[in-house]
Amino acid sequence: MFDTCSNPNGHGHDYYVHVKVSGDINPETGMICDIEELDGIMGPIIDELDYKRLDLELPYFEENQATGENIAKFLWQKIKLKLGDKLIHLKLSETSKSYFEYYEEGNYPYER
Amino acid sequence: MGFKKLLTKKMEFSASHRYWNPKWSEEKNIEVFGKSAGPYGHGHNYNLEVTVQGEVDAETGMIINLYELKSVMAEVLEDFDHKHLNEDNPHFKHLVPTTENIARVLWDLIEEKLHENPECALYRVRLYETHDLYVDYWRE
Repeated sequence: MFDTCSNPNGHGHDYYVHVKVSGDINPETGMICDIEELDGIMGPIIDELDYKRLDLELPYFEENQATGENIAKFLWQKIKLKLGDKLIHLKLSETSKSYFEYYEEGNYPYER
Repeated sequence: MGFKKLLTKKMEFSASHRYWNPKWSEEKNIEVFGKSAGPYGHGHNYNLEVTVQGEVDAETGMIINLYELKSVMAEVLEDFDHKHLNEDNPHFKHLVPTTENIARVLWDLIEEKLHENPECALYRVRLYETHDLYVDYWRE
């Protein structure tokens, strides 16, 4: 079923997470969301996964396969807690040839 | 509230084509299609992106196995890669092989193969002819 992905010693990727935020432009700052604040939110969440053996070092991936689909969902849930309604779309690139998307249906205006 | 789960796989192929409508005069073909009407055709490195939608299986953690999607795409592209589409691919005997039409034909061929997997639906086909031109195709 899992082919080369089931190698007992695991395998790695250089993942990229892209988040889209949406909202009103704050008249004082001219920003939807301060990039430094966004970095401050995403940094610690990514640190939980970065350079980790996901299926051995994170309880979430002991119970859920560490597929791109499930990593995207994991990241969405963590980032949503911090960003709330501003978060409208999450994309996780696994390789230059494949990526996963996760978002709430009906709440993302750029469908397809 | 539902969540949308999408998976996109990319694959490159190379093909040549010629834009020519046999119902038109040579002058009209050249007027409409310009240098794309050259008698010997010309080639591109196409980039195909196939997006599928589905639920994530609790056992596998997947919408579809990427290896399965890859093999579906590779099988379909056998008739496109390193082919002259007008001459070598039966779908373009009577259809101008524009990016729009290639995307439409690819949608049909990929959807037919994906039908064997009821959990996973074709969502969008995006076909890049060059890095600065692409066509999106989906059925509403």
